[in-house]
Amino acid sequence: MSNSNNIFVKFKNMPVDGMVKTIIVATTLCFICSMVVSFAAVNLKSKQDVNKALDKQKNILQVAGKYYDGVNIQETFSSFEPLIVDIENGKFTNKFDPLIFDDKKAAQDPLLSVALKDDPASIGRRANFVTIYLLKNNDGSLDKIILPVHGYGLWSTLYGFIALENNLNDIFGLQFYQHAETPGLGAEVDNPKWKAQWKGKKLNNEKGDLMIQVAKTSKNKDYHIDALAGATLTSNGVNNLVKFWMGKSGFKKFLKNLKSGEA
Amino acid sequence: MSQTRKQLLIDPLVDNNPITLQVLGICSALAVTSSLNVAFVMSLAVIAVTGFSSLFISMLRNYIPNSIRIIVQMVIIASLVILVDQIIKAYAYEISKTLSVFVGLIITNCIVMGRAEAFAMKNTPVDSFIDGVGNGLGYGLLLMCVGVFRELFGSGSLFGITILDPVSNGGWYVPNGLLLLPPSAFFIIGFLIWGIRSWKKSQVEAREYKIQTLEVH
Amino acid sequence: MSIRSYFSSIEPHFEKGGKFQKYYPIFEMIETIFFTSNTVTKAAPHARSFVDMKRIMTYVVISTIPCVLWALYNTGFQTNSALSSLDIKEISGWRIHLLQLTGLGIDPTSLVSNVSHGLLYFLPIYITTLVAGGLCEVIFATVRGHEVNEGFLVSSMLFALTLPASTPLWQVALGIAFGVVVAKEVFGGTGKNFLNPALTGRAFLYFAYPAYMSGDSIWTPVDGFSGATSLGLSASEGYESLSNYGITWTDAFLGTIQGSLGETSTLAIAIGLCFLLLTKIANYRMIVGCLFGMIAFSSFLNWIGSDTNPMFSMPWYWHLVVGSYAFGLVFMVTEPVSGSHTNLGRYIYGGLIGFMVVMIRVLNPAFPEGMMLAILFGNIFAPLIDHFVVMANIKRRAIFNV
Repeated sequence: MSNSNNIFVKFKNMPVDGMVKTIIVATTLCFICSMVVSFAAVNLKSKQDVNKALDKQKNILQVAGKYYDGVNIQETFSSFEPLIVDIENGKFTNKFDPLIFDDKKAAQDPLLSVALKDDPASIGRRANFVTIYLLKNNDGSLDKIILPVHGYGLWSTLYGFIALENNLNDIFGLQFYQHAETPGLGAEVDNPKWKAQWKGKKLNNEKGDLMIQVAKTSKNKDYHIDALAGATLTSNGVNNLVKFWMGKSGFKKFLKNLKSGEA
Repeated sequence: MSQTRKQLLIDPLVDNNPITLQVLGICSALAVTSSLNVAFVMSLAVIAVTGFSSLFISMLRNYIPNSIRIIVQMVIIASLVILVDQIIKAYAYEISKTLSVFVGLIITNCIVMGRAEAFAMKNTPVDSFIDGVGNGLGYGLLLMCVGVFRELFGSGSLFGITILDPVSNGGWYVPNGLLLLPPSAFFIIGFLIWGIRSWKKSQVEAREYKIQTLEVH
Repeated sequence: MSIRSYFSSIEPHFEKGGKFQKYYPIFEMIETIFFTSNTVTKAAPHARSFVDMKRIMTYVVISTIPCVLWALYNTGFQTNSALSSLDIKEISGWRIHLLQLTGLGIDPTSLVSNVSHGLLYFLPIYITTLVAGGLCEVIFATVRGHEVNEGFLVSSMLFALTLPASTPLWQVALGIAFGVVVAKEVFGGTGKNFLNPALTGRAFLYFAYPAYMSGDSIWTPVDGFSGATSLGLSASEGYESLSNYGITWTDAFLGTIQGSLGETSTLAIAIGLCFLLLTKIANYRMIVGCLFGMIAFSSFLNWIGSDTNPMFSMPWYWHLVVGSYAFGLVFMVTEPVSGSHTNLGRYIYGGLIGFMVVMIRVLNPAFPEGMMLAILFGNIFAPLIDHFVVMANIKRRAIFNV
């Protein structure tokens, strides 16, 4: 009997259903599998993170009208400046680094958010600090501002961005990047024709009252977006969330400050 | 390739299709077939998992203690699924968002476990691998058939390329919203089973009841 | 040559061994238009009753006549009113050209003009239903070798009446084809369907083309006119607000409101119900059960109340007259094949549907109308209900016979 590989021979000769062999097989298998899985997870992590970031950047480019097929997302996105806004006082804050700030986590963190009493968008808690994006012209002047919005529709929370022109009152576009509304009805929030309606609508009237509205019928075309046919509740949800985020509990104060240069 | 191996690969496509004959793996077939891109990636994922899990399990079949047989199979399958999930997330992020949990749920897909237990535990690694790939292909083939229906008539496109110009973009085609909802896959799979069984009579199951006959009075 | 001897002379060709053996179902279909069939089946749906299928089906079709008449009038009335209120000078469309050509005009106060305008909407829908559904029916009958059944006449009539007047005809054809094939023929034809074919077709359209089956612009087939159904208004603003739109309970009862073709008039439906009850085609137990379920649960919700959902406060007598509750109650719930077959089961079956209607109407935010889904839901549960009723009977008798 050769001595060199006796350990394998021994293992092979063990009864398959014996206690020792069972334990050896189980342990070895678990070890190998966990190695494989963790190796994959660690090695692919950086690539996945890049994907995640790219996906978000792509959405921001889309709402700002800077996205087209074959665009270099990262390069174009570098002209956007991410900044953190303190919603309560309506000013920029440098308490957090906008590059690593996590908006979704902040909205759940009791220290960084408030529970809403008046909650038309049905979001429960609203973060006090929100990442917004400024798109500047070559000469440094403001071109567009991109604000994140979210709120409940019929079946799901809709997450999206709203882009405003540099007068901070005209809407450039609205785009949702995550929702689970009914295909063919509520999911028509993604329909380019419907989204095109938002361009050029105004948020507030001259007196500063919030006028923007998603409804079936309305008198003033400047502030009115047609509701989606057959999707009353999703339309109401969009109406509520836009009104909420553009209103007093949302970005209203900040926009006012930004306009007067006090932000 | 010998005749039997060819048989192993081709049999599960129609004659012994895991979905239409054995009616396994329906859950994910409902969830991921509303667009062909997603269905295609899902098919590849399942083919990879069934093929390689059968291969590895067959290689180990003489060492796997009977008492922890199922657990060992599960561990191997689960590791492969996680591997596939991670790779999709890294290289096909858009699609991984739509697939979401369904890649993870390949673990529970009866086809994978079924092949491991019924075939790979008793056959050589190469045969098992071919059998696994064959069953994955059978699953994928059906997924693609359902996907063609659902995407073409539900959104008017195939692989995201517009074929029937929908009304919402100024075209003439009114998309069928039902096909975008998961239950529609039930109907389509039902119709496919109907079609296949009309074609291959041997797949028809025996009736469990007797229909009353007419009587002249 | 008399008709009978003509049929007798050609019959051998269609019988077993004849030239046209394959087409026997078509021969049988035409023959039984003139003569009563000399065969009966021993299976459902009429094994439990003394009347034969042809009589049941004919009576049901007769009972829909008031609804059809009202559908004609109301569709025309709503369309004519909308046209005159919008005051469109250049009205196009073949229906209006035809009306003006024949001198009937589009006058909402004229009964003849209303009825003929309604007819021009109803007839195309009904004919499409008959042709498309009939085609499926005949194909299946030929291939499977069963008879073409009169039940189809009922399904097609009911299906047509559940549609909005503006439904595109290709959708009508698709809907009835789906209903006939998926709900009936794949299970073996009339008497073996566990779902109501007309409603299945309607549900298919509802989910497939929601923009054509719900919303405000579809109930009156006039471009640019939008009018919500009374149920839709109640869901968004509460039933009290209906009076702001000029809708009183009497309007909803008589049926001068927006809605699908045949569902608007509770009165016309009630006349149909009387006929069905007098001829004992409809089983009163299902009606009682369904009314009880609806009244009990809606009263319960009235009592709970809600600040945010105006539907909570809707009383049962409004639930009865708005939407398709009455129509579904009389023509769909009572359908004998897909409903429960035991007497106690019928009460439970009706009750379940009544409960589900209110449940869907009030508590589900997505679907203002619940009758269609509630009945299909009830259909699915009917065999289970029967099973438990039969089991309970067996158990009880076993105790007595120890």
